[in-house]
Amino acid sequence: MEKEKALEKVNKIFIDVLDNEEIVLSDATTANDVEDWDSLTHIQLVVAIEREFNLRFTSMEIQSWTNVGEMIDCIISKNK
Amino acid sequence: MIFKEGDKFIEKFHLSEKIYDGFIALFKDRNPLHTDEQFAIDNGFKGRVMHGNILNGFISFFIGECLPVKNVIIHLQEIQFKNPVYLDDRLDFFAEVSGVFESVNTVEFKFNFKNVETKTVAKGKIQIGVFK
Repeated sequence: MEKEKALEKVNKIFIDVLDNEEIVLSDATTANDVEDWDSLTHIQLVVAIEREFNLRFTSMEIQSWTNVGEMIDCIISKNK
Repeated sequence: MIFKEGDKFIEKFHLSEKIYDGFIALFKDRNPLHTDEQFAIDNGFKGRVMHGNILNGFISFFIGECLPVKNVIIHLQEIQFKNPVYLDDRLDFFAEVSGVFESVNTVEFKFNFKNVETKTVAKGKIQIGVFK
């Protein structure tokens, strides 16, 4: 899966879960850059991403991400 | 994780006068649809329509008391009301685990309530966290 396409899908999920049409994610985006991306919405985001991409993360993987780019890389590696 | 996709749960609930009176006493919703028999009939119902959010109380009981573990918290709940519920109705509640997300210790249930005519009166989903 192309990184750009994965980022686009994840961006849509963020817009839907956080109910904010203005969200534009990049590889460097972190939770500090997105309003309302807190610990509870993080769970909603992970659930939505796992469901959309039909994959499962481990808690270790989630804890290792420092930005959206690392999340996308993880999604792509699981879709290979 | 103790839950797995497809796990099913069934409970029975009775919308008793005590529950109805208690809900009104606590939350003060005395809208005539809920409290005035004639008003409800004039608007196409068989009688006073019970507050939909009483069903959310039943869901709270299900999550808090009926699951095999107590270390749970509701993250999200969505409910659609499909048919009216009347005083003294007996409801069957069905829930099924529709998703297990171990990475975030989260479980999702789909549920529905059916009345004695087996009509769905409400349906929706609940997402819970299972904390350690």
